[in-house]
Parts: sequence; structure tokens; C-alpha cells
Amino acid sequence: MTVREALNAAMEEEMIRDEKVFILGEEVARYNGAYKVTKGLLDKFGEKRVVDTPITEMGFAGLATGAALAGLRPICEFMTMNFAMQAIDQIVNSAGKTYYMSGGNVPCPVVFRGPNGAAMGVGAQHSQDYAAWYGSVPGLKVVSPWSAEDCKGLLKSAIRDPNPVVFLENEMLYGISFPMTSESMSDEFLIPIGKAKVEREGADITIVAHSKMVTHSLEAADALAKDGIKAEVINLRSIRPLDIDTIIKSVKKTNRLVTVEGGWPGFGVGSEICAQIVESEAFDYLDAPVERVTGADIPTPYAANLEALAFPETSTIIKVAKRALYRSN
Amino acid sequence: MAVVCKLRSIIPEVPNLSPPSMFRPTAFSTLRRGFATQLLPTSKSPISPSLSFFNSVTGDDTQIPTYRVLDGVGKPIEGAEIPEITRDFARKMYEKMCLLPQMDTILYNSQRQGKISFYMTSHGEEAAIVGSAAGLDFEDEALAQYREAGLLLWRDYPLDSIMAQCFGSHEDSAKGRQMPVHYGSKEYHFHTISSPLATQIPQAAGVAFALRRTPSRRDKSIAACYFGEGAASEGDFHAGMLLASTIPSPVLFIARNNGFAISTPAAEQYHGDGIASRGPGYGVDTIRVDGNDALAVLAATREARKRCLKGGRAVLMEVMTYRVGHHSTSDDSFAYRARSEVEDRKRIDNPIARFRLFLESQGWWNGEEEEELKTRLKTEVMKAFKKAESAPRPPLGEMFTDIYAGEMPWNLKEQKEELKQLLNKYKDYDGYKKELAKFTKKGEDVMQ
Repeated sequence: MTVREALNAAMEEEMIRDEKVFILGEEVARYNGAYKVTKGLLDKFGEKRVVDTPITEMGFAGLATGAALAGLRPICEFMTMNFAMQAIDQIVNSAGKTYYMSGGNVPCPVVFRGPNGAAMGVGAQHSQDYAAWYGSVPGLKVVSPWSAEDCKGLLKSAIRDPNPVVFLENEMLYGISFPMTSESMSDEFLIPIGKAKVEREGADITIVAHSKMVTHSLEAADALAKDGIKAEVINLRSIRPLDIDTIIKSVKKTNRLVTVEGGWPGFGVGSEICAQIVESEAFDYLDAPVERVTGADIPTPYAANLEALAFPETSTIIKVAKRALYRSN
Repeated sequence: MAVVCKLRSIIPEVPNLSPPSMFRPTAFSTLRRGFATQLLPTSKSPISPSLSFFNSVTGDDTQIPTYRVLDGVGKPIEGAEIPEITRDFARKMYEKMCLLPQMDTILYNSQRQGKISFYMTSHGEEAAIVGSAAGLDFEDEALAQYREAGLLLWRDYPLDSIMAQCFGSHEDSAKGRQMPVHYGSKEYHFHTISSPLATQIPQAAGVAFALRRTPSRRDKSIAACYFGEGAASEGDFHAGMLLASTIPSPVLFIARNNGFAISTPAAEQYHGDGIASRGPGYGVDTIRVDGNDALAVLAATREARKRCLKGGRAVLMEVMTYRVGHHSTSDDSFAYRARSEVEDRKRIDNPIARFRLFLESQGWWNGEEEEELKTRLKTEVMKAFKKAESAPRPPLGEMFTDIYAGEMPWNLKEQKEELKQLLNKYKDYDGYKKELAKFTKKGEDVMQ
């Protein structure tokens, strides 16, 4: 099953399950979504529940927030999370804070979803990773899934969650197929928000990644294995709440940590993990400095040769992992 | 914004409007006729040989008129119809219009004395707020900006609740989490005030969308969305109007044009004909109303509400009034407008006096009742004020609650646990004792 199909299935199942769930965004209905993630939903659920909107992120994110405050469960699709900056006030200041500000009287069960991070050849304004941005806001939950299973189980959980959830997809993963277990094909398959998954066990070094960087980290782990290095790869799945316990446990076993993300280095997901690790008992177990593998600290260039240099590749992770192990070959 | 990706999806689908026969030679006359009468398949604009520009929605370069019922001495103007109103209803309106400034004065002064951090009065806008509130149904969802406490008063929201909010006492339904005047009550259908201007406007489109989707409320309730003429400059206004009109929903947009956005006069806020001129741009039924005429506001709101429900669509009301008070306690408006201008407005066009003169002309009010009312209201406000002033503040444990609905995340549990250990260790020390005394339950809720 592809990531796209998994997201589509999650929405369809939840729309069947709960009449209050509806989807809105630019071209989500008749056009089936800019990336076809909502394909077929209009035919199945009709115009009342699959709603095309004019091109105003501020407007339809506000409408989604209002509808959630009034008891519905909207799924608000952004054509990309880059455009959601126009709506960030609604996401952070209204959706994220109203439950608290109302004294716990008015929940805001809305999902903001769309592709996040770099795609390919779309330049500085379509390539940004927002995990760290939304991850810093109390009141929001933030999910960054990798596999088809992640997408299905986490999106279903996000839709059922009583809180606003920012759901960060990745355009380059939409068409990638992943094996699905019979359990994950079930209508009741849910993955808890706030729990990471150890994708590969290992004893020598911990590699923590989210979204597409999990693919590169697993490839790196394969390559490292050939050199006799057993890397443990953790797929974060959730950015907020951050499952630091799983990382601490792993670091206590491996004594080395490398974080991998497509976002910028400063004040990023890796920075946060690093800070939480040095504040925890895992600090005493570290045998090498924590290393962050991140996107380059520049706006994303368009030219393919430069763009390729702006994001971590498998080889970068291998190199950094070896450095953390004080290995020169 | 949104250029690269959106280009991918703007390749138009082939419209279903051109019959294949148009391209046959035999249908040449059809083609010619079609060319003469229709601009494009996406437009119904008639063809015109006149090279004319326009910049007015009235069509004759005059400003949009203002609907008024009562003149300055409370008499109906020529041609005006007095809306259906009973003695009791009118007296209730008047009472709430008088309660609002009473309450405002006391809370404003309490801010000046440092008892609360902030306040905003409604002076001069009593008819605009109470008049529109009276035209709504109790169950209509109100999304206010911040100067609409009069709507809560109209709905008989207890003065105790208002005071509890302003003081952030333990009785505040929002647990003391919002700055003063940011009221919110599910029971009274009043959405929690959001400080960033205009966010309530697209949200109102969403609330109304939800009302349409809820069988028990469809065709019964509307969303009533208030904002100032300054907030109407925010992108949210345009986005919200557009959304409410393209995804039709019953929202009544009420623009309180009170002449000032803090210090910026309305004349600098827009170059066009106020806020009302924007309504037709969004295909929305629109009216401009004299906001200092309680009866005109009442009648316009009732009619607007009716239209919202009947058409399931948005309606815009621009309510023209004058902010007699300062913007907030953080503002001194005499820095940008003459004291004499304000004094003149208070004297020439006082909404409360105008409505009182109408009541008297109907034999529904007299001087004696006026005295009695003023005394009673003052006593009621002071009683609530004193109660809230000395009420304990929320319990300490509320620091950690309601950030998320459902289970508390581990990081909050951890912080709460840390606080618990600290309190248990140090609670008997003087500094801690003094601080804990400020909370209801004195920190016991965290220590256990």
C-alpha cells in the first residue's frame, strides 16, 4: 500500500465511522486534491463532507477551526505546509490555545495536514520543514509519519484526538509502497500519538529520524552493518509529544546518538532531542558528542546540484555515524 | 504565494458549456449571436460599448445610505417604521444599555487603581451592542471581538461571572487564563474572545457551517460575528467574508464602525465607502445602520437574521457609531483627538438618551424610574465587584490542566510531579507559605 493510499484509507474509514468528520481545502473535492490524497472521497461522501474552498489558507483554516470549536471534526488539507504559514495564527493562536483559554470548556478537534519539507526542484518557498515550528507550541500535537502503516494509524488517531493535530506528510513518500500487516489494514488500527517506533534494533549507535529521513537512516544502517556496526534506528512518528523515553532507553544501550532531519539545524527537532538527552540520565551514558544531521542552514536552492547538497543523504548519515563511533573507515 | 504548486492544478477542466454544434459551419449565426451576448463561459457580464469606470456600489457616486428609525429626540423620522416592540422588551433594552456604562465605569476605575490589569469600555456604543444583541436569538452563536460585553448582559449573563473573569478569580469559568474582557461561555453561546484581531471572522463561517450540518440547529440558529472597522482591514475579514459566501453559511457579520482603531481614524483605515461597500463584492446582502439608534439596530439585526436563515447565507451590517471612551486602559485618546470632539459627540448624539426619549414618548419610562434604576444598577455592580475582588484565585494545579483535552502528556505530568516534590519539601517555609496562601486549596491539590 502506498502512503497516499494509506492516508486516503484513514480518512475514508474515519468519515464512515463518524458523521462529524469532514475534509476541506483547495481542490480536495472535484480535483481529488493537488496530490490526489483525497481521491474518490467526494464521490463517496458528497459535497457536504468534502469541501472545495477558495484559495485562502487563513480563511479555510479559520473555517476549520470554527467548525471544530462548534463540534465538528474537520480535516484541513493544505496544498503544502509552506502555504499554511498564511494560516499559522489560526493554528497556533486559536486552535492551539482555545481549550486552555476557555478553561477546558471548548475543545478544538481539528487535523491540519499536508506535505511538509523538501520535495524536489520546488525552491526555497516550497521546501520548508515545519516540525520544529509547530513542535514548540503547547496545545498542539504534531505528527510526522514515515511509512504507510504510520500514516494510516496516526492519521486515524489524529482525527479521533480531541486536540488540534498538525499532521506533516512528505510529498516524496506519497507514491512509495510499504508492506501492510493484516492488523494495519483493519478499520480499528490506531497508532498512539506520542510514541516512537524502533524500526531496527542495534547495540552500537542510535539514529533518530522522522519522515523521509527514516528511509535514509535505514539505508545507512544497512551500510553500517556491512562494516560490522549495529545501528538502532528510531522512527520518531510524533514530534509533540516527543517520545524521549524511547530515545533515552536506546542511548543507554548504545551510548551514541545521531539525529537526522530535513529541517534546518537551528532550534530544530535534533536540537531539542539533544537538549533533552543531556538533561536526562542518558547524558552519563554518552561516549561521544551527540551529532545532528540536518538540512543546510540556507533557503533551499532550486538548481538540482545545489539542492542535492542542501539535504542529508544516506552517505551523510553513514559518515556522521562513523564519526560518532570514532571510526575512520 | 502558492505559485509553483498551484500552477500544477490550474489547468482548467473543459467546461461543459460549448455545444459541439457551435463549430459547424451551419451554426455560424449561433456562433455570432453567442459572441455578441456572452463574454466568457465563466461570466454573465453584459457587453457594453461605453468606456466607463466605476467606483461606487450605489451607482451614482453617492455614499451608501444609513438606515435610521429615531431622530435625535427619539421620534421616528419621516417614512420610518417602528419595529415591533413591547414595553417590557424596550425597557429591558434600556436597562441593559444603562447597566453597561455603570459596569464599565467601575471596572475602568478598578484598573486605574491597579486592581485589574486591563479593561475596555463600551461608552458610546451601547445601542450598537445591546440593539444588535436584542435582535438575535439567545442560541445564536456569538463570536465577538472584545467590546461586546453588552451582548452578554442582554443574555442575562451574571455580573458575578463578568467580575470573576476580569479578576481571574476561582469562579471564572476560564480559570483565570485570559486577560480581562476576554469572556467566553458555552452556555450563553458566546465564543471565547481571541486577542489577535479578526480571527473570529473566518471562524464564524466555520461555526455557521457546523450549525447547518447539525440537524437540531439547522434553520434555527445563526453565527453572529462582531468586529470593528479596523479589524476589517485584516486579511481574515476578506477571507471570512469570501468563505461564508462561497461555502454558504448563515453568518451575520456585524461591523462596529466606531470611528477609531485605537488611534487610527476610520478615514485612514480605508479609502472606499466604509465596510458596507465590500459586502456586494462578496455577493453578500448588506446594510448600513445608524448604530446610535437602538431601534434601527434592532430592526436591521432582526431582518438580517431572517435573511441569514432563509437563504442560509451571510449578511453584512455596518453599524455606524462613535467610540466615546478610550480604546482600552492602555490608551489615552486625547493624544489624537480633541476632548471637545468627544464631549460634543456625547452631548449631540447620546444613544442612551435617544432611546430614553423614545421610551418616554411611549409613556414607558419616567424620571423617577430613571433614578431608581441608576441606584439599583450601581448597587448590583458594586456587590459583584466586591465579591470578585476578595475572592480567592484559581488553584495551583490548574497550571497544568486543559493544555490538552484527554490524557495529560508526560512532560506536563513530570513538571507537576516536580512541583509536588518541591512543595512537600518546602511548604512550611515562610516564603512558600506566603505564596501558597494566594491559591484556592493553598496548593493542596498539587501536594497530594
